[in-house]
Amino acid sequence: MELNPDKRELALKFVYYGPGLSGKTTNLRALFQTADPRGRGRLMTVDTADDRTLFFDLLPLFLQTSSGLKVKLKLFTVPGQVMHNSTRRLVLAGADAVAFIADAQPGERQANFDYWRNLGENLRENGISTENLPLVIQFNKCDLADGALRQEIAETARNSRRPVFAATAIRGEGVKETFSALVSLTLERLDREHGLARSTGLDLAELLGSLARTLEGSRAGGPR
Amino acid sequence: MSVVSPVRPVGVLDRRMTLRELVDQPSLTDLCMSFVELHRLGVKVFDEDGARLVDIKTGSGDFCAYLFTKSPGKQRCTETVTYLKQHPLPVVGNERGCEARTCFSGTRYVMAPIVHEGDLLGRVVLGPFVPEEAGDLSPELFELAGAFDLERVRELQKRIRRASETAVRRIAEHFGKVLEVLLFASYRAALTSQMHIEAISEDYRELQAKSRELKESYERLQELDRLKSNFLATVSHELRTPLTSIIGYSEMLLAGLAGELNPEQEDYLSTVLEKGEGLLNLITSLLDLSKVESQGVKLALKETAVPAIVRQSVSTVLPLATKRRIELSTEVDESMPPAVVDPDKLRQAIVNLLSNAVKFTPDGGKILVRSGLLPQAPEGTGPFGRASRFLVSVQDNGIGIAPAEQERIFETFYQVDSSSTRAHGGAGLGLSLVKSYVEAHGGKVWVQSRLDEGSTFTLDLPLETAQPARP
Repeated sequence: MELNPDKRELALKFVYYGPGLSGKTTNLRALFQTADPRGRGRLMTVDTADDRTLFFDLLPLFLQTSSGLKVKLKLFTVPGQVMHNSTRRLVLAGADAVAFIADAQPGERQANFDYWRNLGENLRENGISTENLPLVIQFNKCDLADGALRQEIAETARNSRRPVFAATAIRGEGVKETFSALVSLTLERLDREHGLARSTGLDLAELLGSLARTLEGSRAGGPR
Repeated sequence: MSVVSPVRPVGVLDRRMTLRELVDQPSLTDLCMSFVELHRLGVKVFDEDGARLVDIKTGSGDFCAYLFTKSPGKQRCTETVTYLKQHPLPVVGNERGCEARTCFSGTRYVMAPIVHEGDLLGRVVLGPFVPEEAGDLSPELFELAGAFDLERVRELQKRIRRASETAVRRIAEHFGKVLEVLLFASYRAALTSQMHIEAISEDYRELQAKSRELKESYERLQELDRLKSNFLATVSHELRTPLTSIIGYSEMLLAGLAGELNPEQEDYLSTVLEKGEGLLNLITSLLDLSKVESQGVKLALKETAVPAIVRQSVSTVLPLATKRRIELSTEVDESMPPAVVDPDKLRQAIVNLLSNAVKFTPDGGKILVRSGLLPQAPEGTGPFGRASRFLVSVQDNGIGIAPAEQERIFETFYQVDSSSTRAHGGAGLGLSLVKSYVEAHGGKVWVQSRLDEGSTFTLDLPLETAQPARP
């Protein structure tokens, strides 16, 4: 969290984490495509020609509140390839919240597990406590999952203390829900631990409403 | 809220970059110049703190300079410039608006914010231009008529472009968008290169940590190894003392010093003596090894006749070979010059090779020992080189060694397999001692072998071993 009381600015960092090709970039693209252009920056994909998501993606979203506080949400994806662990760790540094994008396809269970463990290691390396970190889990590519797996996802959702979402990011399904839940968890935590609403005069419900409008943006307001 | 690891500085992703960091100033100036030429409007660019990055005038230079020469003009001009640099411009997300400011002279400026990722990084100011709707000089100038020659002012103002504010606002908006694309590209390039560097530093940091761990673990292992050698030395020494008594008294009994023995007693006692001696040999090897490990091999070098050493070694294992009906023959070059070596160590090395050969050769097999000079002169000595090395080889037609095992058999305690240990005995120390002794002479030992056909072990030693430098 970066709070500048003089400029009345708050910046939060969200990291989309998960195995290679699980759909982290697709999530950001879906958010970018539907968000109100007035409330988002450009989607930056830093990559090389011969590799997928060699580094990361970055999408800034901007929210304005009646209290005058400017809120910037910076969304990052990490590179999923095993070899880019140092970049993953760097992107994760200073994260306020994490969306773990698991691949719901049969046969990806081991990769999901490996990256879940890798996330824990890299959070520890960055000195981020996993205990209170706002974190949501998304099972992406649900359209490709088999019945048994869908059942398993539903069961995980019932038993997990973290919110679990089923998504098909390529069609934009479950993408906004995942991100909205993550922002909500993050604001709750910052308010609980740092008295965010009191210190900034921020109305959390209003901010979430503003986020919902921004995410619905292009259909509601259309391009500028 | 997160805590960035104290070992790593704040990364480029979490740092807000300034306009100066994001743009190349000469390139920005070139871009502004092309705008100035295209639209005949002055362009100024200020950063967030109001510091000027670009200032290109067109047509207005003399006009402004003239007004600036007189005190009232100077004061009002300064007010306008301060306003242009510092007046807050609203930025709401990606929403930005242009603002106009009219100077006391009647000319006008349009300000547009420079926004990157929702942050205000600076502003671009277009102007001055004469508003399209403006008539003669501004009322304020008429008020200051005493200070200025209004005719001259009129003449100079004619050089400034006349334009509608709407048009200039559109130009400013367009300019802002071009700049935004430039900043996006620069930011992307900066992130890419900086992330490369940070990722490499991160890898380096990780490698350093791993290498530190490895070093510590290596030091711990070295210490353990030293303790093991000390333990071996102590235990071997303590084992040898009672064994000497066992062997001594067995010999005395066999010699009949305690009275006549019946054949059965003699047979039993011979076995006790033989096994005792075997055990003594093993313990001696352990002691030798622990000495080598703790102190390194100390050589007592002197001129030595190699053929004599070979003959002595052969005679040591001859009884055992004879018992097993193994044919032990030699091919020794008697004419080779004496070598400067440690005779005891050389003998021990050859005896160890011969003992192994006997051990792993079936009854009725053959062992051949060869020794002689290595004919080639050392490389690079040309026609002046003389042979400077000699070889001793022990060849058998025993069980042979599989290729995968050939490197490892020189390691301490290594046995080709456990069943072999049971069939042939030994502690796996012989070859490791041979290697230590030979290497201490600056030589080497190697094996050529085929399974079920036999093995040839060869020692390659210098004719003159250099004395080690005194510490």
